[in-house]
Amino acid sequence: MPTTLENWNPGKAENRHPHVAYEEKERLFLEVKNDMRYSDFLYGCYECGICVATCPSARFYDFSPRVIAQSMAREDVERVYDIITEDIWNCAQCFSCVRCPRQNNPGGLVTILREVSLKNGLQETKDALQGYSRVIYKVMLKGNQVSPDMLQPDFFPDWGPWVTEFSANMQVWRKAIPMDSIRGVTDAAWRTDRKTLLELYTIWFESGNMEIIKELDESLYDLLTEVMQEELEEG
Amino acid sequence: MTSGKVLIIGGGPSGLESARCVAELGGEVVLIEKRERLGGTPDRESYAKLTHHWRDASEAMAEMAESVTGNKKIEVKYSAEVKSISGEAGSFQVQIEAGGIAESIEAGAVIVATGFQHFDPGRATQYYNYYSFPDVITLTDLEKMLKENKVVRPSNGETPKKIAFIQCVGSRDRQIGNEYCSKVCCGIAGKQAIELREQIPDSKVMIFYIDMRMYGYWENEIYWPAQEKYKVNFVKGVISEVLKKGDKLLIRGEDTTMSRPMEVTMDLVVLSVGMEPSAGTRAVAQLMGIQQNKYGFIESGGAGGLDPVATSRPGIFVAGAASGPSDLDDSIAQAGLAAARSLASIRKVMA
Repeated sequence: MPTTLENWNPGKAENRHPHVAYEEKERLFLEVKNDMRYSDFLYGCYECGICVATCPSARFYDFSPRVIAQSMAREDVERVYDIITEDIWNCAQCFSCVRCPRQNNPGGLVTILREVSLKNGLQETKDALQGYSRVIYKVMLKGNQVSPDMLQPDFFPDWGPWVTEFSANMQVWRKAIPMDSIRGVTDAAWRTDRKTLLELYTIWFESGNMEIIKELDESLYDLLTEVMQEELEEG
Repeated sequence: MTSGKVLIIGGGPSGLESARCVAELGGEVVLIEKRERLGGTPDRESYAKLTHHWRDASEAMAEMAESVTGNKKIEVKYSAEVKSISGEAGSFQVQIEAGGIAESIEAGAVIVATGFQHFDPGRATQYYNYYSFPDVITLTDLEKMLKENKVVRPSNGETPKKIAFIQCVGSRDRQIGNEYCSKVCCGIAGKQAIELREQIPDSKVMIFYIDMRMYGYWENEIYWPAQEKYKVNFVKGVISEVLKKGDKLLIRGEDTTMSRPMEVTMDLVVLSVGMEPSAGTRAVAQLMGIQQNKYGFIESGGAGGLDPVATSRPGIFVAGAASGPSDLDDSIAQAGLAAARSLASIRKVMA
């Protein structure tokens, strides 16, 4: 609906997801709130801002751990829906925010929000994570997250100015600091011990992580499952 | 002529405690009280529970009053007022009127414990409509309802489900002239919010504030439990106006956390009114010729600033909220000091 003088209400936040019923937003909100970790992650907020001050993401994105904590505390269902479909992917999950004097854990709230968004297969979550397929593939299959060639300043501004330097002279760095990489190239991660890898695969299956991947990206799930099961059978 | 008596003006918490302490230290007291009963503002305004230990206010005040009325060294005069004072430290002559009869009292020292009054929200600079909308009430109005365990919307007698507190009404406002913080309203609002959530478990309670000033143990005794256990919402931002929307109240302000203007409807709006000097404090200060600060409270602190019960006139001391916003603990602590200092000043003259 276009904004007209009749329906314009400056006192009300813009409803950014009018096509989603309030009941659905509330259901997701309650799923987050009823998580068993919730009461340990959120006590009460002074709005002192220490979580924002320590947050690396807040420097680069429109992201505030304080707003997340306060929105949950106020049971602002609409705002929490904005957060679960958008904000949570700007968190680096570094947990700098846990120095909160009230012992809140905004990063932990983000963890719960992410899990709920994944379990419920939100389209925004799929979209947000699409670009991460390669990272997920590497983390889950190789046991390492980032290979050197992924260090591109445009994608990771929160990693600081050094990324430009590293990415520009990657080959020189590799020669200067030889690493035990899988194929001695920059597009692969560092080698993880085989026993550790097999343990990781077991954890992915047993902890329900593979179910989440299936909800997120079925072809990625098929690819990972095939390789992992083969390796596990080999032992 | 030198007198060993201490005259105490005011029968509230500070006056009562001063009287008890002077008597315990061996002095004689004449305590004059304007009303026909003791207990001061907590009694007159029907306070429910006190912030410390959640004690019943009537019970606590009755205890204080009994320790005075049952003491042979203390003479209490009801319906009494000071008319004039002359003399100096050690030998004051005070003209009073008690129950319509003029009397003269000799006193070696005087303790002024004339207290405060609650700010009248009719003078608020924002548009809160206290005198227009029955569902806009003050902390003191709510305190009376909490005491009877019957909180209703005055307009229709229904139980309110959405309740907002607005902080700093009459305090910290240059336009009104009260630039000071009234010290206790944050704690009282927090305490009342907890009581509301206990008495009306399905209610939503929000407190709109500029700064929360929950000093000392109010932090862990009131603020944290209110937020964490009773799920009271504290929102930083002052409400600019209260309007009528159907049979609800619409409050308008900024939600500073979310950086956006905000309008929400409420069933009941509670104005956290601050403290001003009572009419008695202003009158007594004037007729005794003791200095008042720009807000009308009695100037205290002495020459070095570290004498919280000294006034500008030797031999005359002040205790409690007559010298500025004060909670019960501080008022009672000052009362003890005023008692000790008044006896000391008499003994100095006698020596």
